[in-house]
Amino acid sequence: MTKVFYDHLLIIEEVIAVFDLNAIKGNERKELLQLIDKTMHHEILDTILTHLPRAHHEEFLLRFHSSPHDMSLMTYLNEHAGIDVEKEILKAANTVKKTLIKEIEAAKK
Amino acid sequence: MGSIKTSKLRAALERHAAISESKLGKRHPHAASWFAKRGIRPGDIRLHAARLASAGALAGAMLMGTPFISKGASFGTDKIANAPLDSIQNLFSDNLKSLLPSSVHPLNPEIEDQISRIIEEFWGIRASAKLDGEHLNTTYGYMGAEQHLPHFPGDSVSQHDAYQQSGITPGKGAWGYFANSKNELTDDLVQKEKYYVAVQTLYLPDWETRLPYLREWYKYRKVMVINPTNGKTVVAVVADAGPANWTGKSFGASPEIMAYLDMKDGAQRGPAILFFVDDKDNAIPLGPVERRNK
Repeated sequence: MTKVFYDHLLIIEEVIAVFDLNAIKGNERKELLQLIDKTMHHEILDTILTHLPRAHHEEFLLRFHSSPHDMSLMTYLNEHAGIDVEKEILKAANTVKKTLIKEIEAAKK
Repeated sequence: MGSIKTSKLRAALERHAAISESKLGKRHPHAASWFAKRGIRPGDIRLHAARLASAGALAGAMLMGTPFISKGASFGTDKIANAPLDSIQNLFSDNLKSLLPSSVHPLNPEIEDQISRIIEEFWGIRASAKLDGEHLNTTYGYMGAEQHLPHFPGDSVSQHDAYQQSGITPGKGAWGYFANSKNELTDDLVQKEKYYVAVQTLYLPDWETRLPYLREWYKYRKVMVINPTNGKTVVAVVADAGPANWTGKSFGASPEIMAYLDMKDGAQRGPAILFFVDDKDNAIPLGPVERRNK
């Protein structure tokens, strides 16, 4: 799977483990994981843009768009946001995972 | 443990994806519109990353690894050297377009540095926005068509071997004639006229205070001119000043350059990147860049 610079903070394996426990396999698993991935990106981008001052948004988006996997983006964010962005991303990712894992549990027959 | 009703789960996950996308759009509408202009949705960034990673293979079917410059990434310069020119130009253009802002305006230094890295990877030429501490007011702007410049006093357009329909300026360029007479005209000077650009030295903030130095520094300064829409690239020299700001253009270029860069449409102008070439040994020839410099 193609990498994005904040992938290491998503720890998506936690969701995959729940999929495994519930025997969600094949194409269905792939498609459901893609939906989870979309939600993650929306929430993480929201977190980043909320903490990054508006003046740096375009530059960040340009860099992100040109090299989504570039780990130096994290350094860029930490420098310009003035807070520990990794911590904020981790927090947002955990919240999304908790919510979505609840949905998986709720979908049990 | 009960089994999962996947249709129910799918509906719930789709709802979350839609809600989060809508929330992002409401909280950061400028970002949503930024993505929309580039034809991608924020949630599909991984798909976009995958496309970037495969762009090289699609464009040239021979470029290894990621086509986009990043720390530690490389195109594999030997692969570039052997790729078809149009594939290289397309890939070069894709890389530039991914960095350039949606409207034509001055670039920030980080973007300029990234463009320098891309130029060096593709063409093996060191070109930068700033050289010896000098920087034009913009390195990304509209470039317009200029006429031929007279080589020497009394020169006429009929003595220029191509694009005679472009005409010739009635007077000399901002740096004078290329030669004092026809007898003194060398092949090197002919090449300089063929591949010349006009830059807005007149609007440099220190032009008047540092005139003697800057005038010499800019005379026949070697530059790289790129049409980012098609990746076509030319090495040229500065041989005239202009255009005026009211034209909306930042650079002018000889008929040969405009033709090669495919900027010869009705508007006679197009967006261009203009960087200084670091070529103290004068080893980079003027004209189209179509192979990687070794």
